[in-house]
Amino acid sequence: MLSPFLWVHDRLTDLGFQLGKLCLAIILVAYCYEVVARYLFNAPTWWADEAVSYSLCIGCFLMMPHVTREKGHVAVTFLLEMIPPHRAKPAHWAIYLVGFVVCAAAFWINLDENIRQVVNDVHMMKVKPFPKYYISVFITFGFGMSALHYLRMLDYRKIDVTGTSSGSYE
Amino acid sequence: MVWWAVLTIGLTLLLACFMSGMPIFIAFLLINLVGVLVILGQPGFGMVANSIFETTNFADLSAIPLFIMMGELLFRSGSIDILFDSVDKLVGKVKGRQYVLCIALSTIFGALSGAAMGVAAMMARTLLPGMLDRGYDAKMSTGAILAGASLAPIIPPSVLVIIIGTLANVSIAGMLIAGILPGLMLATMFLIYTLGRVRLNPALAAEDASASTVDVSFGEKIRAVIRVAPFALIIFCVMGLILLGIATPSESAATGVVGAMITAAYYRKLNWRMISESLSSAAFIASMILVIMASSKMFSQLLAFTGSTRELTQVVAGLDLSAYLMLFIMMLIPFILCMFIDQIALMLVVIPIYQPLIKSLEFDPIWFWLLMLLNVTVGGMTPPFGYTIFAFKGATDRVTLQQVFSATWPFVAIFLVGMVVIAAFPPIATFLPAFL
Repeated sequence: MLSPFLWVHDRLTDLGFQLGKLCLAIILVAYCYEVVARYLFNAPTWWADEAVSYSLCIGCFLMMPHVTREKGHVAVTFLLEMIPPHRAKPAHWAIYLVGFVVCAAAFWINLDENIRQVVNDVHMMKVKPFPKYYISVFITFGFGMSALHYLRMLDYRKIDVTGTSSGSYE
Repeated sequence: MVWWAVLTIGLTLLLACFMSGMPIFIAFLLINLVGVLVILGQPGFGMVANSIFETTNFADLSAIPLFIMMGELLFRSGSIDILFDSVDKLVGKVKGRQYVLCIALSTIFGALSGAAMGVAAMMARTLLPGMLDRGYDAKMSTGAILAGASLAPIIPPSVLVIIIGTLANVSIAGMLIAGILPGLMLATMFLIYTLGRVRLNPALAAEDASASTVDVSFGEKIRAVIRVAPFALIIFCVMGLILLGIATPSESAATGVVGAMITAAYYRKLNWRMISESLSSAAFIASMILVIMASSKMFSQLLAFTGSTRELTQVVAGLDLSAYLMLFIMMLIPFILCMFIDQIALMLVVIPIYQPLIKSLEFDPIWFWLLMLLNVTVGGMTPPFGYTIFAFKGATDRVTLQQVFSATWPFVAIFLVGMVVIAAFPPIATFLPAFL
């Protein structure tokens, strides 16, 4: 019964992943264009810095559901890895539950803020002002979709304690 | 509630959440949401949403994905193999030449990549098997690779510098350039240590003891230098453009990516699939880091709101301890915590607390935060929790985790000696940024 919903959720996560990559490509192109325009043609752009900051925020939260689905978020797991598998499973379940509750709360808080921004017609104070929710809605998307991924991870039978739940970056 | 109780309870709960194994961004959000509810009530939730928005809408942080992408392009394209091969030819006949090769390569990779993990994993896959097959000591080889890889966050480009510079409100360009001399100094110290150990105990480099080293003609060495010349373009795109004042650190990160693409294209190793994979990897890792930073921002705001940071500063100022003793204490705490806690999480907790302290102690910000950078970089290779160790171990099964753990300590000690030297002679850190 849930499968169409799960399919949509997965496809939206995939779409977010691809668009997140596109945002990074936009950052790259915008900055290169800015450097060339400013130093070779003495014609700095008004939009490059803004395009970069918006793309960074949008890309980060479009990518977030994919990171959550792949269990890529960084965690300090060495204590978790020390406990035997039969006890580790409930521990993982509890972490996913906390993840769901916290992400759902963050989703609700950001949604509330989005609604306030729409109602009060809040604009970004930039060179070209535009409604703030155009950007902030992606934060709501990221947390909402991640909350759903944590909810899906609560299926006790599917919890795999052999894999790592932490990501890495440094 | 009194300020010290807020600070103690907040930090204890946060550390407990970290250690529970929950994702770090969840831990920060959980503590922040509970903190806001207790201290400010429900109307304060709007501040949480705004802190997330403001953190991720900051163009300077775009250097994080761009620096990661630069390294990804070089590693995935295989261009690094050419560098590897050429440096191998350039390292002459010395006892323990594989150690020299390892440290020389690490230093160059440090100038091409902003992250230690990628370098550690790559060296574990490529260099370590050769070292072990030649009869080199497993522990010493492991330590040299981990220490060498740890130069990557110090020598620009550096993802950690972007994070520290942004959080501590210090010139990112200054911080990046400040890492050059300390990075080279540490590389030299690693070389002296490894070659000194080999001299005392030739069995640490068994192959050299049996006198079967590579013989390369002068002409081949010249050709090797010419082959690696395109890599200079990347270094120029990052360090050169910052030093010349042509580009900001974020812009130089973008031009560095283009430099990496041109280099890969020069070696005929550039293709769309590799670019797409590099974009995926960089965007994935950047999202991971930025979500943590966004989730943590409110923690420092809560500390400021309750007056905890202000009161702590006043108490510390009233202690009347010498500046060097304060520096020692301020470095000791992250050093110990970094053995157990993620480096970025630690910085997100420590920086807002330390920032007013270094002002009251009148420390040079670039010098202090560079020492902190070295400190948290060492955290990546101090057991039991260190990402550089995990990346290394994940890429090889030829050494045990126990061997890896014991291999790192001599090099951690060298790092600490290096920190003492920089603490005693601040111009090592502040000389180059003065030219900006």
